[in-house]
Amino acid sequence: MANPILQVENLQICVRKKPGVLILRGVSFHVNAGETLAIVGESGCGKSMTSLAIMGLLPDAVEKLSGTIRFKGRELPIADNRAMRKVRAAEIGMVFQEPMAALDPLYPVGKQVLEVIEEHEKLPREMAWARVIDLLTKVDLPNPETLAWSYPHKLSGGQLQRVVIAMALACNPDVLIADEPTTALDVTVQAQIMRLLKRLQRDTGVAIVLITHNLGLVAHTADRVMVMYAGNKAEEAPTRDLFLSPRHPYTRGLLDATPNPERASAQGGVLREIPGTVPSIADPMSGCRFAPRCGNASELCRARFPEPTIEGAHGYACHHPGTDARV
Amino acid sequence: MKPIRRRFPWAFLAKRVAYGALAMLVIAIINFFLLKLAPGDAAEALAGQAGTADPVYIAQLRAQFGLDQPLLSQLWAFVVRLATLDLGYSYVFNERVSVLIFSRMPATLMLMGAAIVIAVIGGIVFGVTAARYANRWPDRVISFVALLLYGTPPYWIGLMMILIFAVTLGWTPTSGMENVLAFNTGWDRVVDIAHHLILPALAQSIFYLAIYIRLVRAGMLEVLSLDFIRVARAKGISERRLSYRHALRNAVLPLVTVVGTNVGNFLGGAVLTETVFSWPGVGRLMFDAMFQRDLNLLLSILVLSSFFVIVANLVVDLLYAIINPTVELK
Repeated sequence: MANPILQVENLQICVRKKPGVLILRGVSFHVNAGETLAIVGESGCGKSMTSLAIMGLLPDAVEKLSGTIRFKGRELPIADNRAMRKVRAAEIGMVFQEPMAALDPLYPVGKQVLEVIEEHEKLPREMAWARVIDLLTKVDLPNPETLAWSYPHKLSGGQLQRVVIAMALACNPDVLIADEPTTALDVTVQAQIMRLLKRLQRDTGVAIVLITHNLGLVAHTADRVMVMYAGNKAEEAPTRDLFLSPRHPYTRGLLDATPNPERASAQGGVLREIPGTVPSIADPMSGCRFAPRCGNASELCRARFPEPTIEGAHGYACHHPGTDARV
Repeated sequence: MKPIRRRFPWAFLAKRVAYGALAMLVIAIINFFLLKLAPGDAAEALAGQAGTADPVYIAQLRAQFGLDQPLLSQLWAFVVRLATLDLGYSYVFNERVSVLIFSRMPATLMLMGAAIVIAVIGGIVFGVTAARYANRWPDRVISFVALLLYGTPPYWIGLMMILIFAVTLGWTPTSGMENVLAFNTGWDRVVDIAHHLILPALAQSIFYLAIYIRLVRAGMLEVLSLDFIRVARAKGISERRLSYRHALRNAVLPLVTVVGTNVGNFLGGAVLTETVFSWPGVGRLMFDAMFQRDLNLLLSILVLSSFFVIVANLVVDLLYAIINPTVELK
């Protein structure tokens, strides 16, 4: 196995003081240096909560119940805000979903990038500022010297997201968590931002954890994919394997629900949806949490949660995995 | 690294000055008619003090003060005097009105300034603390005390403070602005005045302090829930820096607006505070002018007050544009 830089083991997150109400039900995964891991799943499956946990930014209403998060081999003290401050941005950077709301409206964007550098590195002001201009140039912003003094309301969503990316990479972190970085942007801008992220990854060797529900984005950018469902890891595989031979019925459902001209005729021109809804996080069901919505569910599925099966790089948690290859 | 300077909004300033002058004129005219509606005039008041009700004497006084003229010509004379910055003569106090007002003005401005500074700084410090410890004990204590202060009449607080701090504990003087008999000069005089200032400034600020605490706390809680705070937190910034540099500056915007609109209230409150603490300011002068039916003096004070309120609001708008770069003054 390659060198895992970030390792999450059996992470369980529950509503504060309510260990029965689990948001993450024991999730394990790792991220190798320099690779891109995509975490996909529908809203509320726990993918954002996973990333916030890694940053030590869990909302007050929830807490870690068990599990460890290791960065470069040492455990991250995610409940210790003071200790985590040295990790944030310096070692693990984060890009958020809504670039329009991500910056403080009252400070020029350059100053907000500068703030990261000043927080983590003892640099003379002039050198730090030169680094800010350099960063803004690297994220392809025009006229960085002028733009650095612009206030956020003067910039477009795409430009703001570039500033946020510059901010996240200002101190050369080893991991960049991108939580739906393109959801709020136009489709053309989405492609530009993803190309930018990939180029920066090539230049700096930063590992990217891409959190998204856009499978098209995943196909083009990720090395490996982890599919989450209702607080569990459903499936994990190299991107190509996952798209060509998905094993978990939830993954297959997701793929069927993605517009795809080639497959459309095979499905009679209709997008197939996954019936039913996600179970409540307070629901104490003992079996597979996807069973109520699954066409192949058996008594076994409803009775016992499926242990993960590992086949090489491909892992899934299902009693009755599908086997047919796909278009 | 050189920031790009924004141009000073001269056009905005010119427009606001013109509007302000117009507003002052309208306020002066309305006040003129309002005060004329009240029964009695300076002639009657003076005659009463002299212990006479002789109609001939009163008529003579009225003629002397110009009170026998038709209402509209009195108004015209008043407006013309205002326009030429001549506030006239007070027959009740036997002094030029401008001299009367300007000898009292520093005391009132000092009291108002101190009260505003206490209310704003206290509001920010306690408000931010309450928000940072939302729903924990520091917040509960601050919020409860703020509510208590909010609901207590300011004059009662003033009297109680005199009773406790001046009479019982003897920490501060009971009233007045300085110990005249000590003939202090220089630094000694500053200290003496500050000593006299503490109680009235506190008494006048307390109601607003309570409002500002609640305003800052609510504003902080709202801003702290915004996305950019989480982003800033993800940058590894300390909670203190987050609170004061990012959250507070955003949360303080509504406070600036409210303080601007409260300047008028502070002036109005000065009447009460100055009376309770025998503070020799414009507020008490206004009170006396009212009792003596010295309408000219009273009108002059009111017009001057409107001037201060208008200027304060203009300053607030300029300040707002400095704090909030998304605001463009046109």
